[in-house]
Amino acid sequence: MNGRAHPNPGRRLALGASGVLLLAGAWETVARSGAFAPVLTPTIPEIIAALGRLAANGSLLGHVVATLGRVMSGLVLAAAIAVPLGLLMGRWRPAERFCLPLMSVLMPIPSLAWVPVLILWFGLGNTTTVLLVFYAAALPLAYNTWTGARSVSPLWLRAARLMGADTRSLFWKVTLPGALPYVIAGLRQAFARAWIAVVGGEMLAASAWGLGWVIFDAKEFLATDVMMGALAVIGLIGLAVERLVFAALEARTVVRWGMLRSGSG
Amino acid sequence: MSSEASEHQDGGRRARGVTRAASRRAVAAGERLLPFVAVAAAWELVARLALLPPQFFPSLRTVGQTLWRLLVSGVLLTHMQGTLVRLGCGFLLAAVVGVLIGMIMGRSIVAEEILAPLISLGSPIPGLAYAPLFVLWFGFGNLPAVLLVAVAATFPVAVNTWTGAKTVKEIWIRAARVMGAAEPQVFRQIILPGALPHVLLGLRLGLARAWRVLVAVEVLTAVPRGLGWLIFGAREFLQADVMLAGIAMIGLVGFLLDRVVLAYLERLTVVRWGMLG
Repeated sequence: MNGRAHPNPGRRLALGASGVLLLAGAWETVARSGAFAPVLTPTIPEIIAALGRLAANGSLLGHVVATLGRVMSGLVLAAAIAVPLGLLMGRWRPAERFCLPLMSVLMPIPSLAWVPVLILWFGLGNTTTVLLVFYAAALPLAYNTWTGARSVSPLWLRAARLMGADTRSLFWKVTLPGALPYVIAGLRQAFARAWIAVVGGEMLAASAWGLGWVIFDAKEFLATDVMMGALAVIGLIGLAVERLVFAALEARTVVRWGMLRSGSG
Repeated sequence: MSSEASEHQDGGRRARGVTRAASRRAVAAGERLLPFVAVAAAWELVARLALLPPQFFPSLRTVGQTLWRLLVSGVLLTHMQGTLVRLGCGFLLAAVVGVLIGMIMGRSIVAEEILAPLISLGSPIPGLAYAPLFVLWFGFGNLPAVLLVAVAATFPVAVNTWTGAKTVKEIWIRAARVMGAAEPQVFRQIILPGALPHVLLGLRLGLARAWRVLVAVEVLTAVPRGLGWLIFGAREFLQADVMLAGIAMIGLVGFLLDRVVLAYLERLTVVRWGMLG
């Protein structure tokens, strides 16, 4: 524990790999020990084989596409409504006074609590799941955008106005970029919540496709290998979106403009 | 005489000021109520137009009556108790495990490098996704529900504790050592309080996440009673009024958890020590 010296990357990789291998080894030992029913504790080769089977007959791709499609539809819908709403709330007091109390009331209600009501209104299937994702994503997005719009320094606005910017370019060149770090933080949070909502929605409002549904359905057949394979896929997609999509989005915008240091968080 | 006059004037001004303040307060209250009145009116309109059958889209009056009925008969409280006990157990487990993992990662570089990939692989998997697997392993009931809540809440607690333990100023630790503090004392009196704002943030996020998944977890693990179970059970009988009453209760509990429990905890510790405004 000698200070916070930066270790070399090779050692770091080796230690990181050893952690993953240690966990895998522990699981493999438990799975092969025979202490539990083998059907409940599949070995890692079995899990990989199950994933391979799903990938080979094309159903894995279908499930991934279904889940991602629902998440993306919900997120796009949420962004299209929540970002303009957040900006409006940040720049126009009456909108803020009207929407903020309603948002504070909805905020502590988990998206998944709406599932039975949504099923009652829209039936099982895509509409319910997409609306669920929308609800889960819209609130953090609107809230963060609102904070971002308020955080735009009035000095910048006055300076831009002095230099002859009209309302429109004021919005596009000052307000929107100024709020963007918060909007992107809101999108990250929205995705994390949407990812939980879509898995829960697919389990509770079953619709024959989707990674959440695969896990739920596999229970009927005691197919724990399929379950764990699907869990791994859910984790990998979530990690990829977080690390690739949002990191790229930040690098292209707020980091490039010098509003946020790269590699924070 | 002149002082008396000025007193009169003062009194008059004060009285006018009071009425003005009162009317301003009334306007402010009205403004605060306006959004709710507008939404309630829109809801009533849809309910009265009967676009959907009344069991599917009940009027607010019906929802209010149902809420009262469930509250008085104790049904709502029984379910709430089940949910809160489950939440408490799961959250406590997550707090202990998460703080432990986070502290170890924050104070040992080797542990950090071993555990960091596992954390980043594990945290994007929603705790909810383990539900069917846990049901197979532990059966239906409270045990898998508590464990699922714990899994969901552990990650934010661990990650934030880790950050907190890492951001404790090295100079504080060295200063304490120089002044002759033993290692346990350094940990208790420097590292733990120094990391606490982050730990509390982690606990807050963990509790929020636990609360968000618990409703669905209760359904998937078929617990004997709980608010999630109440609202999903109401689906069988197409009782939207029971669902909405349950949702209102869920919102109220969620609000109280964040505002009362955690805000109190924060005031008691980091705010008192002047580490947070």
